Amino acid sequence: MVNLTIDGKQITVQKTATIYEAAQEAGVFIPVLCYAKKLLPYGACRVCLVEVEQMKGRLIPACTTPVTEGMAVTTTSEEIRKVRKTVLEFLLVNHVIECPVCDKGGECDLQDLTFDYEVYPNRFTGEKFDLPTDEVNPLIERNMNRCVLCGKCARVCDEIVAYGSYSFINRGFETKIATAYDRGLNCEFCGQCVSMCPVGAILPRPFKFKARPWQLKEVDTVCGYCGNGCTVTLGVLNEKVETIRFNDKIGVNNGNLCVRGRFGYSYVNSDERLQKPLLRKDGNLVEVEWKEALDAVAEGFQKAQSGKGLGVLAGARLTNEELFLLKKLAGQLGTGNLDHSGGECYKGLTEGFRETLGVQASTGDFPQVEDCDVILSIRSDFYETHPVFGMVVNQAVKRHGSKLLVLSDKKGKFTKLPGAETLLSRPGLEVNVLNAMAGVLLDEGLAVTKDVEGIEELKKGLADYTPEKVADQTGVSADSIRDAARKLAAAKNSAILLAYGLPYSAHSRELGAAAANLAILTGAAGREGSGLYLCGEKANSQGAVDLGILPAEGAMGAREMLRAAAAGDLSALYVVAEDPLSSYPDRAKVEAALEKAPFLVVQDIFLSPTAQKADVVLPAASFAEKEGTFTNAERRIQRVRRGIVIPGEAKTDLSIFEMISSRLGGQLTYTGPEAVFAEIAKEVPQYAGIEYREIGPQGIVWGGKSLDISARKVVFVKGGNPVDSPIQLITGSTLYHSGTISTRAKGPLAVIPDPFLEFGQEDAQSLGIKEGDMVTLKSNGTEIRLSAKVDRRMPRGVVFAPYHFPSAQLNRLYKGEAAIAVELVK
Amino acid sequence: MSSTVENVQEEEVDLTAANQVIDKYLNMKGALMPVLQEIQESYGYIPEPTVHLTAERLNVYPSQIYGVLTFYAQFHMEPRGRYIVRVCMGTACHVKGAGRIGDTIHERLGIGHAETTEDLKFTVEHVACIGACGMAPVIMVNEGTYGSMSVQKIDEVLAKYREME
Repeated sequence: MVNLTIDGKQITVQKTATIYEAAQEAGVFIPVLCYAKKLLPYGACRVCLVEVEQMKGRLIPACTTPVTEGMAVTTTSEEIRKVRKTVLEFLLVNHVIECPVCDKGGECDLQDLTFDYEVYPNRFTGEKFDLPTDEVNPLIERNMNRCVLCGKCARVCDEIVAYGSYSFINRGFETKIATAYDRGLNCEFCGQCVSMCPVGAILPRPFKFKARPWQLKEVDTVCGYCGNGCTVTLGVLNEKVETIRFNDKIGVNNGNLCVRGRFGYSYVNSDERLQKPLLRKDGNLVEVEWKEALDAVAEGFQKAQSGKGLGVLAGARLTNEELFLLKKLAGQLGTGNLDHSGGECYKGLTEGFRETLGVQASTGDFPQVEDCDVILSIRSDFYETHPVFGMVVNQAVKRHGSKLLVLSDKKGKFTKLPGAETLLSRPGLEVNVLNAMAGVLLDEGLAVTKDVEGIEELKKGLADYTPEKVADQTGVSADSIRDAARKLAAAKNSAILLAYGLPYSAHSRELGAAAANLAILTGAAGREGSGLYLCGEKANSQGAVDLGILPAEGAMGAREMLRAAAAGDLSALYVVAEDPLSSYPDRAKVEAALEKAPFLVVQDIFLSPTAQKADVVLPAASFAEKEGTFTNAERRIQRVRRGIVIPGEAKTDLSIFEMISSRLGGQLTYTGPEAVFAEIAKEVPQYAGIEYREIGPQGIVWGGKSLDISARKVVFVKGGNPVDSPIQLITGSTLYHSGTISTRAKGPLAVIPDPFLEFGQEDAQSLGIKEGDMVTLKSNGTEIRLSAKVDRRMPRGVVFAPYHFPSAQLNRLYKGEAAIAVELVK
Repeated sequence: MSSTVENVQEEEVDLTAANQVIDKYLNMKGALMPVLQEIQESYGYIPEPTVHLTAERLNVYPSQIYGVLTFYAQFHMEPRGRYIVRVCMGTACHVKGAGRIGDTIHERLGIGHAETTEDLKFTVEHVACIGACGMAPVIMVNEGTYGSMSVQKIDEVLAKYREME
């Protein structure tokens, strides 16, 4: 610790602090333009100049100067004020003054400083910039005439996003921020640059001329897309979400967001939202009053109860309170047939982790990954399913110098990070490689085996998974398998990352168990600072597992329910916040189930393809319209808050469950989410002792930063078999979408409007396929047509199609396998 | 990403030479400058595909390479002529009529400052003092220096290089 005085105030700060940070701690305001908490010090703007007693004779930039013992700092004096004012005068010489039409007006750092320092009139005059505005993309507008060259956009894009869109180009007066070859922006569109810009040079286009900042009501809630659980602060005007406000003060994401979080909110404002209940009459869905709809639901469910029973499929977009009530409602309806997310993909947690570690959740929290020495990401898609957690990995690699190992069937963002090592495997064989790594640890005596059960059985099983054999199967060299295993074993702290979701249902149990084996053998499991992460695709995937939205003992899970319904062995299906027809594997089976089920109720916010098949459709509320809690993929329970009113007569899922229950004579009535959460705390052990009101700005991580694991049992799991086909199709998430909901959101759609089939350059060349060509994919007796996309990501013989788009009907081919043998016809 | 991208025609270039240059420097830290210099030596300029190749292989962002290319005057992003005609615009040459020399060259070759003839034979550059004020007005063609220039002398010099391959 270091002692110093700032404006006469005695303070003690960390010795790594800068003068600026020390001043902030002391509550002394120093103006800045180029400083940002999450970026490395830069010192470009010179408005933070201060006087230091020990460094007399010149002014010192506060944001780049480290504190030293006994330093005496003065932050305001005539001299300082004069110099800062001059800096501002220089900036304003070239800066165009467009405050009346600039969206930044009212929260612009330059505007505020100009006012504070009374920079009027300006002693200098000079040439104004006259550069064209970049309006090529629909999301981010860049007006470089307003730029003050603080470099924050270029730095955030490099340091945190690791995309590197921007750089300073040219020299002298002509210096400006530009992309390569000064073209229109074409990037991930995460909008970090928008949030960092201190002036109106980089702005969100969808927000243009929508509102003045001071008119907006700000509501802190949690993003409704992936399991990352980022804080999104809704900017609300007249009951409409107009923008997402920058907020780096609360939550887990440090103000970072991805394209979905920043620009994907617009589906809540969509005109296509369901506003009234629908009932099928004479074959058509017609709008009815709630009473009539609920009567029909009650009648149908009662019939099912006395008939062949009822099945409930839930989505992990519901809040914990809603999931809890749904489970109670299922109990009231006398069914244990309850499941979510297709019933397969989460088995890495519920089976893989449970069998080995005795827990059903990631063992560490997100921020600690930044300090890990070695990070193993299973599948490069991790950045695409959980981009903001991916940014933590970027920082670990770029700042901490972590070694990143990527075990994947294709390249991606992670594989491009500095020093990243990619173990490029043939599709569907990740378990084989993980097994081989576990074998290496045991063979070379690197494994932690003390208090670990099952070592002998594991050794026996792994005999077939020597690095050489696995290298033959997977294409990953034996040396790199050995090297990766040794690196993981040697790491002081390590993290193993894996994402799950509907398009990743193959080998889910095996992947979970194989990753857990590695974590146990390297000692990472349960060690503070290390972690094993299995992250769900939806906002509340973890909550759904915690609350047991799973089939009861002996009851049917998602797959069995669909099979039973298709065989006429189930009388009713109740689908909440899911669109199985678009997103579950094996569309034909889902179709048959929906057709054959005598009674189908769908509760959703849009008339999804599944809802179109329903007998009753109940209109629900989006994340922006309700209160409750989500639990993110690191077990962080966070508050979801209402920002806008629910459109039309739609209702929250919570009140719909209550209404159905009471219509059927049940007692499921609560005074609101808080009362339900109190019940959860009583019944769900992990949530015991947590009070709704105590869930603060950082949420509450159940189980703490490092989850105590209750077992250390390695389990042998079989690897996959290579698919024998010259062309294999794999599916998954793309960065710009999440589930099927984002296909209703203008932001993500602006970047990726249509489904596509991605080729590597070599395949595209040998098959004679060009970007944009329509290609027919044939497999299992069916075919679909997709537009081709060509880039450098895909290895030879592997093509990728994202699963998000209902219109692509990809699940006619995809039946839950890791890779599909396909035939391509141009 | 069809709706968000400008239409950019990428030129087609044989990347073998660039790959060879990068191979040499692959394990050197801070190798960007020598790599770019040697690529320019091989191609005569820095073609765009070699920038993307360098970015990928050296793990640098294309935007950063573009920043470097636009910062240093030594890098050229357009094909250049075989003969670089440097017209000195320093003070002494200026006084002795460098402007007229530049105009005459423009007239003869049809190109002004930083332009290249279509047959890729000549590139003209107006430069600051080249340090031969005693010979003002002076021009350079590649490594050759020609002093006390006049309109007639320009024609002689240009004729000489026109005849050469």
